[in-house]
Amino acid sequence: MTTRREFLKVSSLVGLGATVPTFLARTAFAAPDASRPGAKDTILVVVQLTGGNDGLNTVIPFKDELYAKYRPTIKIPTDQLKKINDSIGLHPSLDGLAGLLEDKALCVVQGVGYPNPSQSHFRSMDIWQAASTAETLTEGWVGRALKSMNVPAFHVANNNESAPLALNGSPARVPSITSLADFQLKLADKAGKDVIESAAKTAGKPGLLDFVQKTALNTYASSQKLQEIGKNYEPKSPYPGTGLANRLKLCAQLIDAGLGARVFYVSIDNFDTHASQGGAQGTHANLLAELSGAITAFYKDLAARGHKDRLLVMTFSEFGRRAKENGSKGTDHGSGAPMFLVGGKVKPGAVGDHPSLAKLVDGNLEFGTDFRQVYAAILETWLGVSSKDVLGGAYKPVEVFA
Amino acid sequence: MANTIDPRTAWEPYSPSPKNPWDLRKVGHVYRRAAFGASWAELETGLERGPRRLIDQLLQGGQPSPIYDAETEKFLTGAARKFNVGAQASAWWLYRMLHGPHPLKEKFTLFWHNHFATSDAKVNNAGYMVGQYELMHRHALGNFGELLQEMSKDPAMMVWLDTVQSKKGQPNENYARELMELFSLGIGNYTEKDIREAARAFTGWEIKNGKYFNNTGQFDATEKTVLGKTGNWKGEDIVRICLDQPACSRFIVRKLYRFLISESDAPSAELVDPLAKQFANGYDFGKLVETMLRSNLFFSEYAYRARIKSPVDYVLGMARAIEAHMGTQSNTVNLTTALENLGQNVFHPPSVKGWDGGQTWLNGQTLLFRQNFALDMARRPAGYKLPSTAFALARAHGKNDDQELAAFFLDLFLQGDVPEETKKRVHDYAKTARDQKLPAYWTKQDIAEHRVISLCHLVMTLPEYQLD
Repeated sequence: MTTRREFLKVSSLVGLGATVPTFLARTAFAAPDASRPGAKDTILVVVQLTGGNDGLNTVIPFKDELYAKYRPTIKIPTDQLKKINDSIGLHPSLDGLAGLLEDKALCVVQGVGYPNPSQSHFRSMDIWQAASTAETLTEGWVGRALKSMNVPAFHVANNNESAPLALNGSPARVPSITSLADFQLKLADKAGKDVIESAAKTAGKPGLLDFVQKTALNTYASSQKLQEIGKNYEPKSPYPGTGLANRLKLCAQLIDAGLGARVFYVSIDNFDTHASQGGAQGTHANLLAELSGAITAFYKDLAARGHKDRLLVMTFSEFGRRAKENGSKGTDHGSGAPMFLVGGKVKPGAVGDHPSLAKLVDGNLEFGTDFRQVYAAILETWLGVSSKDVLGGAYKPVEVFA
Repeated sequence: MANTIDPRTAWEPYSPSPKNPWDLRKVGHVYRRAAFGASWAELETGLERGPRRLIDQLLQGGQPSPIYDAETEKFLTGAARKFNVGAQASAWWLYRMLHGPHPLKEKFTLFWHNHFATSDAKVNNAGYMVGQYELMHRHALGNFGELLQEMSKDPAMMVWLDTVQSKKGQPNENYARELMELFSLGIGNYTEKDIREAARAFTGWEIKNGKYFNNTGQFDATEKTVLGKTGNWKGEDIVRICLDQPACSRFIVRKLYRFLISESDAPSAELVDPLAKQFANGYDFGKLVETMLRSNLFFSEYAYRARIKSPVDYVLGMARAIEAHMGTQSNTVNLTTALENLGQNVFHPPSVKGWDGGQTWLNGQTLLFRQNFALDMARRPAGYKLPSTAFALARAHGKNDDQELAAFFLDLFLQGDVPEETKKRVHDYAKTARDQKLPAYWTKQDIAEHRVISLCHLVMTLPEYQLD
């Protein structure tokens, strides 16, 4: 495989001349060197659980009698739980993640949410992605962080998935990519390339044409760069054959290629379990198994490559679900729910208290930690970015790092 | 540009003037928004007809394309229903969009599909999906109130949003929520309490023998208070109460505005209110569509290229312009695969919110998929033992000379509307491409085809071609 230094030499981006987006040009000089001690080359991988993950069947307060009472048909038997401490345990599908506790690589932040929570999927997802409750949301928290980080980022997408709001606002458009093989421009005649690239130069007048041109320019440049990466990636730890695992494997490959990218965004859908969600087995259990299997393999692969202490995986969902199950053996939209943080530097175990099952608000679990406090910790401690600028206010960081 | 709109004249019918003449650009604009793009012949006749007669023609529908074959259509829908093959259902609909007699009606059926976005991924019943299509098609330009009532009882919808699971004492909130949030009112126009109360009115709605069935034994026959109205409401009453809200007509008008006029800016209340008022009185959606289509605003610079082409518009628009022979079922199934990559698999929207559209259509990956699809389209054989589609097109229109070809492609795909600098580059490329070295074993035909394909693809990759 090409080393980073060689790669930077060969991929001079000459073909694109002065049209190279500044962020890529800058990366060519500022690619972080993992071997240099103290280098600020930490990586954030955001894993979005779309649809509203049922937090109460993800991290289970088995000591609380109300739990079994609220969930007669979908409760998880206590003896099957992966216990974190003497009051809470993980869903049995999360055995992989539970195993990471021994490695001190899993942190569970309990009861995360925000005041006056929206129970609309779309509004609440926008709020989480923008880290704001303003009426009109156009920029994402990750995009805003990228403004001061000025490093490449990737959205590793499922085919049918558009780029998330979370990445909007980045100085260069964050490319979405489904696979390296697909990420290349095919031409009948290479000589046409000049025309195509010239047409992608923007006249600078804001509008849709400008948007298309910026996207095109950035894409052609990134695509050229990614073609230099070796196609055959051999994971150091086996990945399950799931969609999320494939996406995280591509993240691992992009990380290992040393492109200087520090932020990755992936998602997994179908958490909207209104009906027949199952308990220890079934729909929800399968989703959690995909989540756990993929993240665990990803962590192990990167750990074996020496990136353990650079890595932070963060999971979130737009909301948790109603405390009591509904008549369809499922759960309706709720609010507070846990987040997972995975990596070599997290504070292992549970952070914050499990929301009270006795004091529900409109049938929902109340949040104890604002999600922006988790973001603040990640921004300040992990990415080295002022959280006040990104979040538009001061949020007290939660202690999630060791 | 927003401040140049005069709300007093915006919705009045456009008539050509020296300052704002009827030209090829406008014909292309009408065909992109009100249909799925135009062939060269359609562009030429449209120019002749003028805006009023062209829109009359599109609103009425007419003859299917010469390729259209009722047997193929029957085969596709039959296979979809009989063997529950979702891909066949998508292929069938795309076939109707491409070759059927009424592209405008298909376009607004697609509008409703994005509005009542239901996915076969969960419904898992191609027959139900086709049934929902038929419902939307029947009302595509009809009465919105009736469509909303019938949609609430549509089997695909009832499975999609769990109405079938909702029972007395154990209501499922899924349908009640989306009815208000996405189908009629929009967020901010109802409370969580309204949803919980309304959900009880939809209890006992089941499917029996593939049709809506009212199981009165499972209906919660107690009082409910929804949007300030109290009574022992049934599901139909809830739909009616939603339709009576002033927010409802505004919500639909705004959505149609985004679809027909511009997705760049939200319209002002001054623009929306007159149309919403007219629409609320009887919910005649066809009339609303017609008002917008014929308007000064629709034909203004403000609306021109003010949207990103959706994948369906991009792919079908290209197929129509390039006169691709998509007459066989296997070819149309190929299109569904392409659309899946581009992010718009019909009958499979990503969520009940539908496709977000606008700038979310384009990202690095989907842009590359689009550009590569364009090459594939130009290259693929025009038919059995026939040359490539791009070459067949050039020959059918008698274009041989390089410069003539460049001008033809620019007119066909972009109505010649690109900066002079871009035109010059394309023409220069056509000139130099002649002198390039090609493999010695290529035949004369190979070389000629290569030239046409390269040029055709180049024009399709211009950024303006992504705009709708």
